[in-house]
Amino acid sequence: MCDVQGKLIAWLDRELPTAEASEVERHIEQCRECQRWVAAYGHVSETFDAYCDAVMVAKEPRRVSRWVPVLASSLVAASIMLLVLLRGRVEPAPVLAPKVATASAPVPAPSLAAVPGPRKPTMRRRHAAPRVHRRATEVQPMDTAIEIAIPAEAMFPPGALPDGINFIAELRIATDGSVKQVRLRQ
Amino acid sequence: MSDDSVPLALPLLRLSAGSAEVTNLYRELRKPLLRYLVCLGLTSDEAQDVVQDAFVSLQRHLSSGGDQENIRGWLFRVVHNQARNRQTSYDRRFGEELDGRMDFLADSATPEQILLRKEKLRRVAAAIQLLTECERECLLLRAGGLRYREIGEVLGIATSTVGDTVERAMRKLAEKCNV
Repeated sequence: MCDVQGKLIAWLDRELPTAEASEVERHIEQCRECQRWVAAYGHVSETFDAYCDAVMVAKEPRRVSRWVPVLASSLVAASIMLLVLLRGRVEPAPVLAPKVATASAPVPAPSLAAVPGPRKPTMRRRHAAPRVHRRATEVQPMDTAIEIAIPAEAMFPPGALPDGINFIAELRIATDGSVKQVRLRQ
Repeated sequence: MSDDSVPLALPLLRLSAGSAEVTNLYRELRKPLLRYLVCLGLTSDEAQDVVQDAFVSLQRHLSSGGDQENIRGWLFRVVHNQARNRQTSYDRRFGEELDGRMDFLADSATPEQILLRKEKLRRVAAAIQLLTECERECLLLRAGGLRYREIGEVLGIATSTVGDTVERAMRKLAEKCNV
């Protein structure tokens, strides 16, 4: 074993005085064993350094990947948009015509023109058709009377009135489809 | 051992609290300081806290006109002492195997390369276990870029003792790692 071997690390770390460093350098150039040790120390230094880095990386808290919150928020936004679209497509329940007669009554069928159409969805649309076109298809306001014949038995207990007496109900329908006025006559 | 240790690149200018030199110093030394602390056994969060505190202390030190020679050694000494205060005894886990935590090796390597690197880290971990506390600390500070004189100041031992300790520790590692 060379006497210089104890100075090899200090030489590698540039800790030796200049004169001594030159002496060690000259020895290393001629000594194969010291060359081998110098290479080994260099390798050990690198490995130790790598191990320190590995410890540091291993102890770092695991982070959530960047794309996870982005993906989550995109999913939420897509779900909200889907819900909004589905709600917009649901047809509103049709408005039923008001019942004015019992099933047993001989009710004349009201004309189609007299029945108001289904209520338009109240939802606003961004690109609504021009008002002029819509007017052409709108149902005209109706204020005509409808007459319905109602047997007396349907309104009064049996025997309260003589047989064969009927009543006529005269209904006036408002533009919104509701019954505006009811008049009963014999 | 020579006393002509290379001073830090920074203190050529007079440092002042909040100056750009301090910011550069932070950028340059943050990672080595964190690595030193984590290898001493502190958690990542604890190490971050200690380094932050050390730089706050540096600001105070500079504001009060403290000595500006060898700021790097000064910072390592501060974090070393703070780490000691946080632990009654040093963590002996430095040197343990990282089996369950070596996913980072798979970043950009073939399976064979990963196996070789794992094996190399296992061998060095086993060898580190055989070192004394002083030998480990000397090697850690040396890996942090400190000169022997600075290591001696941090650990409170003579520069010649540092040289002997580093030499002994390196020889042990070289023999145990079969290099």
